[in-house]
Amino acid sequence: MEKEQQQTYWRSLNELAQNEEYRKFAEREFPENATELKDGVSRRNFLQIMGASVALAGLASCRKPVQKILPFTRQPEHLVPGIPLYYASSLPFRGSLSGVVVETNEGRPTKIEGNDLHPGSKGRTNTRQQAAILELYDQDRSRKVRRNGEDSSWSDFVNFCSEHFSDTNRRVAFISEANSSPALDRLRNAALNRFPNAQWVTYEPFNEESLYSGIGLAFGRRLRPLYHFDKSKVTVSLEDDFMQHSDNDVAYIGEFARSRSVSSPDSQPSRLYVAESNYSLTGSNADHRLRIKSSEIPGFTFALAARLSESLPGLDAFSGYRNEYSDHSWISVLAEELLRNRGESIVTAGAGHDTPVHAAVAAINLALGNAGHTVEYLEVPYIAQNDQNDALRDLAGEMRTGNYDTVVLIGTNPVYTAPADLDFTGALDHVSEKIHLSLHYDETSRAGTWHIPRAHPLETWGDGHSYNGIRSVIQPMIQPLFGGKSETEFLNTVVNGEDAGGHDLIRETWQDLLPSAFESSWNEVLHDGLQKNTRYSSVDVSLVTGFAAEAAEFLGRPMEHSIDAVELVIQPDPKLHDGRFANNGWLQELPDPMTKITWDNVALLSPNTAERFGLPPARKFGDPDQQVIRITTQTGAQAEIAAWVLPGHADNSITIYTGYGRRKIGRVADQVGVDIYPLRSSDNSLFITNVNVESAGRTYVIASTQDHHSLEGRPHIQDADLDYYRQNPTFAQDAVYVPGTFGGEREHPVSLFSDKEWPDHEPQWGMAIDLNSCIGCGVCTIACQAENNIPVIGKREVRRGREMHWIRTDRYFKGDDHGNPKVMHQPVPCMHCDNAPCEQVCPVAATTHSNDGLNQMTYNRCIGTRYCANNCPFKVRRFNFFNYSKEYLTTGDDPEIIQMAMNPDVTVRFRGVMEKCTYCVQRISRAKIDTKNKTGDSIKPPDGTVVTACQQACPANAISFGDISDENSIVSIEKSKDRNYLMLEELNIRPRTSYLAKIRNPNRDVPEQS
Amino acid sequence: MSQNTATVPDERLVKGNHDFASITKLISDIPQEKTPLWWYIAFGISNILLAVMLAMVVWLVWEGIGVWGLNQPVGWAWDITNFVWWVGIGHAGTLISAILFLFRQGWRTAINRFAEAMTIFAVMCAGLFPAIHVGRLWTIYWIFPLPNSMQLWPNFNSPLLWDVFAVFTYLIVSTLFWYVGLVPDLATMRDKVKGKISKMVYGLFALGWTGGNRQWQNYEKAYMILAGLATPLVLSVHTIVSFDFAVSIIPGWHTTIFPPYFVAGAVFSGFAMVLSLMIITRKLYKLEDIMTVDHIEKMNIIILVTGTMVGFAYAMEFFIAWYGGVEYEKFAFINRAFGPYAWAYWIMITCNVVAPQFFWVKKFRRNIVLTFILSIVINIGMWFERFVIVVTSLAQDFLPSSWGYFSPTYVDVLTYVGTFGLFFTLFLLFMRFLPMISIAEIKGVMPQANPAYYRTQNGHSKKTD
Repeated sequence: MEKEQQQTYWRSLNELAQNEEYRKFAEREFPENATELKDGVSRRNFLQIMGASVALAGLASCRKPVQKILPFTRQPEHLVPGIPLYYASSLPFRGSLSGVVVETNEGRPTKIEGNDLHPGSKGRTNTRQQAAILELYDQDRSRKVRRNGEDSSWSDFVNFCSEHFSDTNRRVAFISEANSSPALDRLRNAALNRFPNAQWVTYEPFNEESLYSGIGLAFGRRLRPLYHFDKSKVTVSLEDDFMQHSDNDVAYIGEFARSRSVSSPDSQPSRLYVAESNYSLTGSNADHRLRIKSSEIPGFTFALAARLSESLPGLDAFSGYRNEYSDHSWISVLAEELLRNRGESIVTAGAGHDTPVHAAVAAINLALGNAGHTVEYLEVPYIAQNDQNDALRDLAGEMRTGNYDTVVLIGTNPVYTAPADLDFTGALDHVSEKIHLSLHYDETSRAGTWHIPRAHPLETWGDGHSYNGIRSVIQPMIQPLFGGKSETEFLNTVVNGEDAGGHDLIRETWQDLLPSAFESSWNEVLHDGLQKNTRYSSVDVSLVTGFAAEAAEFLGRPMEHSIDAVELVIQPDPKLHDGRFANNGWLQELPDPMTKITWDNVALLSPNTAERFGLPPARKFGDPDQQVIRITTQTGAQAEIAAWVLPGHADNSITIYTGYGRRKIGRVADQVGVDIYPLRSSDNSLFITNVNVESAGRTYVIASTQDHHSLEGRPHIQDADLDYYRQNPTFAQDAVYVPGTFGGEREHPVSLFSDKEWPDHEPQWGMAIDLNSCIGCGVCTIACQAENNIPVIGKREVRRGREMHWIRTDRYFKGDDHGNPKVMHQPVPCMHCDNAPCEQVCPVAATTHSNDGLNQMTYNRCIGTRYCANNCPFKVRRFNFFNYSKEYLTTGDDPEIIQMAMNPDVTVRFRGVMEKCTYCVQRISRAKIDTKNKTGDSIKPPDGTVVTACQQACPANAISFGDISDENSIVSIEKSKDRNYLMLEELNIRPRTSYLAKIRNPNRDVPEQS
Repeated sequence: MSQNTATVPDERLVKGNHDFASITKLISDIPQEKTPLWWYIAFGISNILLAVMLAMVVWLVWEGIGVWGLNQPVGWAWDITNFVWWVGIGHAGTLISAILFLFRQGWRTAINRFAEAMTIFAVMCAGLFPAIHVGRLWTIYWIFPLPNSMQLWPNFNSPLLWDVFAVFTYLIVSTLFWYVGLVPDLATMRDKVKGKISKMVYGLFALGWTGGNRQWQNYEKAYMILAGLATPLVLSVHTIVSFDFAVSIIPGWHTTIFPPYFVAGAVFSGFAMVLSLMIITRKLYKLEDIMTVDHIEKMNIIILVTGTMVGFAYAMEFFIAWYGGVEYEKFAFINRAFGPYAWAYWIMITCNVVAPQFFWVKKFRRNIVLTFILSIVINIGMWFERFVIVVTSLAQDFLPSSWGYFSPTYVDVLTYVGTFGLFFTLFLLFMRFLPMISIAEIKGVMPQANPAYYRTQNGHSKKTD
């Protein structure tokens, strides 16, 4: 109803421009009478006439089109201008939904939060979900239906479908993204029924197919493993970056952080072992990390299984097996740890690894008694019964032989992402009709005959299941901005040749899924964002009888690696994934969690490997120019890409992320980075065992946000091993460095004055960041960017060191061992010092202290001397060197699209002013107003009602915020823990943000490897 | 002024066989004679540079501060470096005029006018940078305590605000001092020039000076009072400029040695600049009799003294960084000398500490070519001193994650080069239209000024101008 009225309103304004009287008035150059001036008119006459005509003109323009405007006589329920509304919905990614709550302001979705009710997210989010807002308002999304590259229309397409698909004998190939939508599944079945010669392939460039197949090999069924990290005491990750690349990352990070929580010296945190080639985010959170080449992982896994088989029944298939890893020190350590924690451990392997690895891991988990406890195996009806990677390869071959006349591509972009050996573009040439639904007019769209713009999940109806099978509905928050269609609407048109709305299609499907009282339960699902008591069923697993024979077969295969050969590992990008988020400025500008690189992909290699190829083993400080290397595979595929030394990377291994090097997608994605897909083949989807590397003899500029990677022995990040912490529970506080006592006796600063801690005012805001929970993913940065209208400034400006993020995550390497250093992550927002150095030096008092302890920034008053930023010891202040917001918000053909993403509660900053973290003062103010409205006088919101954007997004729950004058508030409890310390306490600036030291839980028996 | 007690006869300050009339002619003829060709060339070049500077400033204001190479840790770089450098140069004038006046240093008369003019123009160049370095130039008047209905006042705790007051006060007092000293000479010019308009203009600014006894009496009192007022300013301006850094908490800035160290450095660079200008001018205008090698030697001694003080400060900074035991400060100073900006540090040390050592030798002190070269070298060194202080401290401070590196853009460079256009445009105009040397005061240090002079030597009196 709201929408209709809105339209009436706008239509009447249009009509105002078209009404006869107005048009005549507009067409006449002068008001009536004014043109009737005759020659020889006297001055007096002239003035008379002019006066009259001006008066008339005034009258004419004053006339209100009263009869044309319809006011809001009935205001839509709950819609109060200025007060945001929140709707539960879901965001799909790789076939799994995440429960989210979307904030909408006057009908515009502006911010995404996790859905507290949803067990998958527990109110938390990841970077992709936070950045979905910008994806919705991406100006470069496709806006037109196109046929052979020329403009067409949706109705033309509907007509085409009803005609083209009336022949049910057509040989149709459907290639779809991974999906768990009941509606789409219904249509899929309808399609396969209707077209007996059709073939359906689910294609994701990075998928869990070999994981399912491996489990299938072991247990006889393709099942999905669901880990419970909170129940695990020892986790062994064999190159599984579950914090970054799992479809269930938000839940996993939360569980992992809970399992690691340290509330007192008596706590017993879990332990994580990681063996991997690239230094991944998960690896950076490990207690022990073994750097080995990706190609060594299978051998390592089998050796572990063989060692375990000595003590465990159920692993007979591996008994007696030996390879070069059998005597590796880690094998005995891991075996011992796992055996000690039977039923309370997890072994997991990266999804990119081959089927045998996953089969071995599944067998290990079963033998250890983890299956059913820490590892659940779920029956997922949306997983095909055959390996879809193979299916795609077969399909491409059949397409090339002319077996298919029509191919329908739903959302996926195989021309860009498909393994190079499939030559998917060539295969498409043999198909006459190629219909592609996609968000952007991308590589596949260009190769196709029909292109249909896809609707964003925030603007369309849809449904699906979370990773563990909770069923949800996707609600539209806004009408499709660019006339896009959802995959259900699209597929329905293809299959049935008719045009039906997504709403009806979803409801039709859900008639069977909901109990009898359909309307009320449907409304409940929409309200809660999920259907209660739905979940994929857990399966009791047992080894298939022929497993020993299968194992003997894959154990007998030759190991395809040699120590000296250089392997190339191709991983999905932590931010852009397979490239589908490449046009998202927030993600492009988010520093990579490990390298802190923005706007590019690089070839990651270890210092030793760099030296081997004549590259400098360490980067020169302040020099953005990086050496470019040329990588050639055995098949002759080549890529030239900047090399980047990442300490901790395995030697003789190079990791490159996908998703870059897009062409003609949009203003953000184009020309950023290097496309590495041409090197990826279906046989070697994760790693290529032997590549040639040579210097390309040129350099390339890389924009990284952190140039220096050592703490220089400074006590900014406090971490300790569990044993040390138990002996010295206050080690972090004691590390305060007072002049003259560095390294000796520690003292706390003493004030000469008996000043009070803060004014007589409640509340007093404060924040605590638990470094033990923080995994360093960077979602806080994106959440803050979305909440606080922070502009995207581009590679050039980032390279010049002008990034605008209000909260950054610092990453330091620690340890004498440059080969395998430890990593520490530290989110740094404004510390809101009580004795703030920035406030003292501002000549115009533009940054001042509020009664409730906020270090405020008054943009209107700021003249931009940058003195405050110079004097900030944490360097958290951000200066608008150019008119970034204006560039960000007014470039392009229709800048009003991106303007819709802005949070109306936060000022957009002009050039020349300083800005920084405000502790989300707009949220504080809203909570205060609400409290005052409710209580009449108090402006002290109850604990937990003010949640900052970074805090709300954090999947690890590392950030707590609240009233520190209330000693029962969560933040006060956090701050009273013995691990609590202040960064740079010795400066006596008295920060309001404190940190809780990180506790590592190493195993003394593990020899350190370099 | 007169030099009326001389038990040990000093070297004569004015060489050659000059009397009052020839001195008057020598100096007052310069603005009257035909404009020399070199002046036009120099003025043309200066104007081009000035235009470049204006273009850069317009570009800066139009586009934003981002056209400079500044970044997140380094919020100030060439802008404040140039500011401090120009203010430092502006120190010599008042020091020569006021302090040397109070100490009765007769030799100052040959160079005080010249140095004061240089001071004023240098302070103008200096003042440009704090003005244009702000992000929103159009709101810069907010730093002044202007009464307003919002009851908004500047933050009186901010050293930047003190700085504004200090520099403005200095500019006003220096200008007044300069102008008061000019009045008798303007009257001389009024009496000498032929053209009607020039007569009128000189006359207007001469404020009806007749050279009467009562006028001289009042004038000398006023001059003495202004000298007294200006003296503390010489020390205060650069002290307060140094507070911009010393009051902050950044290692490398937060140093109590800064006030004396900055003042010494300012005198050091100011004298060097006076020498650079003087050595050229005395040649071009054949003023060797007034600006003698003795003057140059005296100034070189001051350069040697202040240069040594600066060198001592460098050493003391290191000592305190070690003695104070603050790890951050220790790092800041070691990083200066051996970190990414070591090149700038060692240029500074070479130019400021090593170069002046030549002046221990009298032969070098009196060598004009060497003095000229070293005066330029010293000013390069002093520019790098400010660069080292401003940039290296900011680039690598507390959190290693935020460490950065500053590289200038062409706008940074051209804006700085352009200020020489402003400086020399004003200075050439000064040389062309005003008496460069205080005619009245220089006569005071000539033997003829001694009332006994004519009795003892010529036996008859001579009317003075």
